[in-house]
Amino acid sequence: MAASKAILGYTAAGLTMAAALLTPFLLMGTFSNAVAHAGLRVDEKYSGGAVVRTLDRASYKIEIHQPVRPRLLERGETFVQVSFAPAARLPAEVDEAVDLDGDGVPDVRLRFTATGTEETALKGDVTALNPTFVSFTSPASEGISRIVARVGDSVVVRVPRSEK
Amino acid sequence: MTSASQTVTRPAAMRGVCRSLLLTLPIALWTALMFSRVFLMPGRAMHIAAVVAAVFTVFLFFKMMQTGETHRWRRWFFAAVGWIFPVGFIASLIQLRGSMDIPIERMIGGDTPFCFMVTPMLMIPAALGKTLIFPGSILPTASNPHSIAVMIGLWLALSIVLGKGWCAYGCFFGGIEEGFAAFAKRPRIRKFDPRLRMIPWAVLLFVVLLSAAIYEPVYCMWLCPFKAVTEFPAVRSVETALQFVVFVALFAGLVVVLPFLTKKRTQCAFFCPFGAFQSIFNKVNIFEIRVNREKCKDCNVCSTVCPTQAISRESAKEGGALMNCMKCGACVDACKSKAAVWHIKGTGVDVKPERARLMFLYGAWAVATMFGGSILANGIATILHFMHVS
Repeated sequence: MAASKAILGYTAAGLTMAAALLTPFLLMGTFSNAVAHAGLRVDEKYSGGAVVRTLDRASYKIEIHQPVRPRLLERGETFVQVSFAPAARLPAEVDEAVDLDGDGVPDVRLRFTATGTEETALKGDVTALNPTFVSFTSPASEGISRIVARVGDSVVVRVPRSEK
Repeated sequence: MTSASQTVTRPAAMRGVCRSLLLTLPIALWTALMFSRVFLMPGRAMHIAAVVAAVFTVFLFFKMMQTGETHRWRRWFFAAVGWIFPVGFIASLIQLRGSMDIPIERMIGGDTPFCFMVTPMLMIPAALGKTLIFPGSILPTASNPHSIAVMIGLWLALSIVLGKGWCAYGCFFGGIEEGFAAFAKRPRIRKFDPRLRMIPWAVLLFVVLLSAAIYEPVYCMWLCPFKAVTEFPAVRSVETALQFVVFVALFAGLVVVLPFLTKKRTQCAFFCPFGAFQSIFNKVNIFEIRVNREKCKDCNVCSTVCPTQAISRESAKEGGALMNCMKCGACVDACKSKAAVWHIKGTGVDVKPERARLMFLYGAWAVATMFGGSILANGIATILHFMHVS
């Protein structure tokens, strides 16, 4: 019994050494692929949620994302993300009335200067056209739900929904 | 660096130079292979840095083989990686975006490099909602090569090889405080309430449950001391200002002042939730530290020199270290009666402990060279750039 336990122990130790040698060539990649294909997604408060509608303009398009709501004990407010892309083809001053809830009536007017460098807050105004949404001026300090910013190759606007 | 283990007799040199060189050869070849990629990169600074880092890591392994001591030499590598990591990391942040803070725009763009510390906090939301509560990207991107999948893959592989040994061979954060702990000649604070060992578990439970409840990585947002020397949310409000103050205060207290006063890794021993989480991997890792009860003189040196309070008089009497042992080897190096030994589970307690040490060290040093070696080379290259070597 003791001998077989020792054999098992040394076998496991040998396998651990083999795992160390295989780490950069096989093991790390295998685990990374497993994580990448596990069907996980980054929380919508960071990623902005799934795109529900796309509006085409002459040189760019506007993507309306589904509303992102805080969970039971989560901090923050519900917001809708609007992405303008590609950022390089946006006019210097963007002024758009956008229907966020798909009822055919514009909900907010979005005005911003699209000349910022990558990953910076842009100057702009979000004006709510009905009580469902909340107006604010960018740059805002209220965190993740009130943003007008250049993100990658798009300009992202996050419009908070009224809690009432 | 001074060592607590200097107060006791060091073991006599165990091997001659030739035999030590022979035992070092596999690690030397491995190191050459690991650093060969660096030589494909442009720039003299990077090439010099790679040579320095490679020679340094191989030399330390040689000394481990020659002297039979582990902790003394491992600590040089570990502290060097810990101290140099912020140099390379901060320089790359400054180059990329001009500052150490990460604005919300970059967070929602998925540009936050993944830190392994967040892993336990991700587990419940990932299991229940398939959601990762971290503002990074799952797959690597041009602006964020340290994606969630890549870093979790690396952490899993290293955890299998090292168990809790991650905290002594892999965690560059631990190296920072190990460096500060090594500066003091003698500890000014010597006694610790054994219940303090439970704090990391309490912090782990607290941050895991709270993170799952509020869908935020609580430790990263509020409690991580190492945010002070890596990156932190841009200070734009009272809340983010308060977060920054907490990061700096925890870093100053747990990573600088207390390690200096105690000669212990106080953050790791008494606070770090990730360290507690890694302890679970010790249950599956085949290597451990045991105490031969027949040889033990009950001198308690092992407990005194342990940097993380992972062995106590009681646990030594019961034949081993505690679950949070990070396999640094300090107790084995310090034990005069050679009662504390490296051990492979399933074998007899005193059956060829040096073989167990070698088998652990080859794996541990291989992954440490792979992971820490690149950090070391990158940091040295950054310093050389500052010195206008390009």
